Amino acid sequence: MLFLLEAKKIKHTGYLAAFLLSGIISCIFPIIHMLVRAETFTSLPGNPYVILINANWKMMTMFNILIVICGACIMYHTEYANSGMLKMVTLPVNSIHLFFSKFLITALLLAGIIFSQITVLVGCALHWFPNASFDFISILKNTGFQWLIFLPTAMLMLFLSSVCKNMWISLGIGIIMVFTVSIFPQDNFVVSLFPFCSPYQTLAVVDENSHTQFFCMSCIIQTVLFYLAEVLYLKTRRSFT
Amino acid sequence: MNMIETHNLTKVYGDFTAVSNLNLHIQKGRVYGFLGPNGAGKSTTMKMLLGLTYPTSGSFTINQKKYPQDRISILKEIGSFIESPAFYGNLTGEENLDIIRKILGLPQSSINDALEMVGLIPYRKKLAKKYSLGMKQRLGLAGALIGQPPILILDEPTNGLDPVGIHEIRTLIKSLPQKYNCTVLVSSHLLPEIERMADDIGILNHGHLLFEGTLDELRMRARTAGYSANNLEDTFLAMIDADNQQKGW
Ligand SMILES: Nc1ncnc2c1ncn2[C@@H]1O[C@H](COP(=O)(O)OP(=O)(O)OP(=O)(O)O)[C@@H](O)[C@H]1O
Ligand SMILES: [Mg+2]
Repeated sequence: MLFLLEAKKIKHTGYLAAFLLSGIISCIFPIIHMLVRAETFTSLPGNPYVILINANWKMMTMFNILIVICGACIMYHTEYANSGMLKMVTLPVNSIHLFFSKFLITALLLAGIIFSQITVLVGCALHWFPNASFDFISILKNTGFQWLIFLPTAMLMLFLSSVCKNMWISLGIGIIMVFTVSIFPQDNFVVSLFPFCSPYQTLAVVDENSHTQFFCMSCIIQTVLFYLAEVLYLKTRRSFT
Repeated sequence: MNMIETHNLTKVYGDFTAVSNLNLHIQKGRVYGFLGPNGAGKSTTMKMLLGLTYPTSGSFTINQKKYPQDRISILKEIGSFIESPAFYGNLTGEENLDIIRKILGLPQSSINDALEMVGLIPYRKKLAKKYSLGMKQRLGLAGALIGQPPILILDEPTNGLDPVGIHEIRTLIKSLPQKYNCTVLVSSHLLPEIERMADDIGILNHGHLLFEGTLDELRMRARTAGYSANNLEDTFLAMIDADNQQKGW
C-alpha cells in the first residue's frame, strides 16, 4: 500500500518520463552502434552477445547510473521542496517503509530498463550475427545479474538524497562519483566491487574470472548495509533536529 | 482528565535551552491556547509532542500513552500542523489529502469534509505549489483536521490568512470540541486571538511557563496586579517584561 502511495507522489515530477527517455536512448545506442560499425563486431570471434555487451555496456550503464542519480534526487526533492516529508513523520507510518518503497520503485524501473537493454543486445546479435542463437533463459540470467549489481548504487544514491535536504548536493555527489570512478583502473577487481563501479561489470567477464558468486554476495551485502545506514540515520535524526 | 501532560519537559540545543522544565496540563475536550513571543519555544514543545525531536530530559503522556514506545499509536490520534504547511507541491490539494487519508485508513468522504471545513473545495484540483499562501495554510489545516482526530496540535494556524479566513478558522477551532469532542492545543503570539478561541491558556517566555490556567483566572490575576481585566494584552506584555527583567534577558 505504501508502495502505491510513493508511486503516486512522483506524479507530475517528470520522474517516469526521465526513466523512459533514458531507457529508450540507451536501447537505441547499440542499434546505432551496429548500423555504423557492424563489420568491426561481426568479424570478431566468440559469442555475439558477449561481443555486443562488451562494446556497449559501458555507455548503457552510464545512462542507467545517471538516471538513478537523477531519480533519487527527484524523489527526495519532492519530499523536501514543500516539506511533504515533515507531514509524513507526523503521521502513523514508519519512515523506513517509505524509504524502502522508494527503493522498490527504483529497483522495478531499473529491472524494466535493464531487461529491455539486454533484449535489444540479443536482438542485435540475432540480426547482425549469422551464428547467434536465441536463449530466453540467458536473457533472464543476464538481466538478473546486471540488475543485482546495480542495487548498491541505487540504495546508496537514495540514502544520500534522503540525507541531503538540498537536491544539488546529492546530485553533485552522484555526478562526482561517476567521474571519480571513471578515472580508476577499470580492470581492478577490488575497485569494481564498489557502488557506481560495479554496474559496469558484465556477467560474461565476471563469469570468466569465476568471481560471480563473490560478486553477487558483495552487492547484496552492500545493498543491505546502505539500507541499514538509512535505518540508523532515521533513528538518530530526531536527536539532532 | 488531562489529554496531554508534560513532566519537566526540557529541550536544549547546544548550550541554549529552548524549553525548560515545562509542566503542561491540557484537559480533554478543551481548547488550550499556547501563548508566547517569538522564540519562546512553542513550536519546539509541539515538535517534541509529535516526536519530531527528542526531549533532552523530562517526559510527556498523550492520552495515557508514552513516547517513544507508543509513537505510532499516539500519532494515529493526533492531527497536526507545525510552523508552516507541509505538503507535496507536485500534487493537487485533493491528492495531498488522499495520501494522508490512505495512511490513516479513513473513508473517501473524509477528503471532501476536510476540504469543505477549510473552504478549499473550489481549488481541490489545483496543484498545491500553485496555491496562494493562505490556500497552502488552509491545505495544511485540512491535513490536520481530516478524519476528525481526537487531538489537534496547531501551530499558529491563522498565519498568513486574510481577515475573513482568520475569523473562519478561529470559529472552526472554537467549535471543534463541541462538534467532535476533540482536544485542541493551539499556539499564537497574539493574546486577542487566544482569547477568542481558547478555554485554557499557557503563557511561555524563553522556554519557561509563566502562567497556566483558564482565561478567567488570567483576568483575575490581571485585576490583582492592577491592570484592567478588559485589556489582557497589557497583562501579557507586563508579565513577559517582568520575567525578562527578573531573569536579565
Ligand atoms: N534546530 C534548532 N537548533 C537550534 N536552535 C533551535 C532549533 N530550533 C529552534 N531553536 C531555537 O529554540 C528557540 C525556540 O524556538 P521555537 O521555534 O520553539 O519558538 P516559537 O515559540 O515557536 O517562536 P515563533 O513564535 O517565532 O514561532 C528559538 O530561540 C530558536 O532559535
Ligand atoms: Mg513557532
